[in-house]
Amino acid sequence: MISTKNITFSYTKDQIFHMPDLYCEAGSTLLITGDSGKGKTTYLHILAGLLKPKTGEIEIDKTDIVSLSEKSTDKFRGKHIGVVFQKSHFIGALTVLENLEMASWLATGKKHSKRAKKLLEQLGIENQASKLPSQLSIGQQQRVSIARALMNEPKVLLADEPTSSLDDKNAEKVIELLTSLSKEYKAALLIVTHDNRIKERFINKITLI
Amino acid sequence: MIAKLAWKNIWFKPLNTILSVILLTSSVAIITTLVLVEKQFEEKFSSNIDGVDLVMGAQGSPLQLILSSVYQVDSPTGNISYDSAKVWMQHPFVQKAIPLAFGDNYRGYKILGTNPDYLDKYGAKIADGKLFEKNFEVVIGSDIAKKLSLKIGDEFFGSHGDAAEGEVHDHYAYKVVGIAKPTGKVVDNLILCTIPSVWQMHGGHNETENPAHGEEDHVHVEGEEHQEEADMTLDEPGMEITAVLLKFRNKMGIVTWPRIIAQNTKMQVASPAIEVNRLFSLFGIGISALQYLAYGIMLISGISIFIALYNTLKERENEFALMRVNGAKRLQLLKVVMIESLLLCVVGFIFGTILGRVGLSMLSNSAEEDFKMSFNPYEFIWEKEGTLFLLTIFVGFLAAVIPAVKAYNLNISKTLANA
Repeated sequence: MISTKNITFSYTKDQIFHMPDLYCEAGSTLLITGDSGKGKTTYLHILAGLLKPKTGEIEIDKTDIVSLSEKSTDKFRGKHIGVVFQKSHFIGALTVLENLEMASWLATGKKHSKRAKKLLEQLGIENQASKLPSQLSIGQQQRVSIARALMNEPKVLLADEPTSSLDDKNAEKVIELLTSLSKEYKAALLIVTHDNRIKERFINKITLI
Repeated sequence: MIAKLAWKNIWFKPLNTILSVILLTSSVAIITTLVLVEKQFEEKFSSNIDGVDLVMGAQGSPLQLILSSVYQVDSPTGNISYDSAKVWMQHPFVQKAIPLAFGDNYRGYKILGTNPDYLDKYGAKIADGKLFEKNFEVVIGSDIAKKLSLKIGDEFFGSHGDAAEGEVHDHYAYKVVGIAKPTGKVVDNLILCTIPSVWQMHGGHNETENPAHGEEDHVHVEGEEHQEEADMTLDEPGMEITAVLLKFRNKMGIVTWPRIIAQNTKMQVASPAIEVNRLFSLFGIGISALQYLAYGIMLISGISIFIALYNTLKERENEFALMRVNGAKRLQLLKVVMIESLLLCVVGFIFGTILGRVGLSMLSNSAEEDFKMSFNPYEFIWEKEGTLFLLTIFVGFLAAVIPAVKAYNLNISKTLANA
């Protein structure tokens, strides 16, 4: 589960973002919407510990990640936070399976190949395991991103516009996989999006203004 | 895992990698070859002049005299009278004087008339058989025995002069009576016999032009009958030799003799140490020029690695940001870039070391044919090659510093937001 309190952030002195408090239980989903320029991605980066907020607290599984040092944040993020980005990035020189193993190794020092294969299977792309990421279609790449985000069985799964570059069919599928797998892995799922196709599907919503 | 990732990364862009490796390989290969050639060359040249203070021979180029009489790689400056040489050879300053008479060759290997002192000077013991005593008995160097597969008791005819295609002297046959132990010096590639053998082969008097022709007193019949002819001895008057290797008891002689001999005789004496030094300084220019070239190539390969890393860094920013999201530390990204560069350098160094040795063995083969001089490609000069390795690694380190620091300082949030 994840909860935040009084988060503010500023790139420059005159502009301050006030982020609404949020709370999300393990296994449930929260949608963060808002027009572009309102700080959706910034909020997500703050939640992932990639940006330090000016004030406020972020509690993930009883740890306040704002107070952690940079090094501990990297470590904590690797172990407990999974992130799916709008456009999937991979280590180009490694195969799909190796990319997953690398994610696990960087966070925990172990490869967990079995879990990687199981995830690929659940996402229906087990036959792509030994291909290079660049050889997959965009929809398939997004699924690999999901698998990678789930590799370390995170407490929180953050998704940044996971469907914006996908067609209707793939978008539907990706949202379905995200929600079902986050339930299965007992992760709190936070989706940042402005995609109208998925807004209707969720009840829990926060809109940034 | 980091090293594995670095390894996979360098082969993900094979053309960049191959360019860098080729450049590194060639510079390391050139330097390795030069280092080995220089060292072994100097060793060979220096070891051969041990125990020779001066060389006495006919007037001409002193370097030529040294090259021909000590290293057997050039033609001699001419002949000197044995009678007048003897005067100086018996001088009290002289500890040892080894006379040399150049004769013919057998399949390109020189047949040299001398005395057993010559073998002693090079520390060449007889491995098999005995020393030459009678005329036309020969002791052959170990390399010749191997290459021409000659055995004790074998007989052969020499060809005139130092060209293998020279006219065959078929009125006397040389007989192998001994094979010398290998020494790594010129003696391994020589056929040694007594001085009178050389005289007798050429029909008595060296003054006789081309003795193989028009000799009335020589009946061209089988070898048997030659036994009955009186063999020539060292006491024969009016004969000529080619050079004398001198070792002095009194160091004064080394300093004063070059002038004394030049003023009083038609001969000259030359110091092998001085001439070889002159030769090295001539070679030195070429060697340093090649070395500068090789270091230049190494610099270029460093720049090539730098450009390759720097260019791909832009494409890989997302990759690195992603690794950070997955829990990678800054230091681990720095390591990936560093290791990539160092791996290239290590691969280049290994290939270069091998290629350098392949080159050296090819060089050795041709030097063997032309100068009877071989190089050992399997020798490792740890000190110099170790330094070269460290230099290579340093180049790799230098090339990677800026890209690695950039990876280290990468702003993940910005990178991902702009993607």
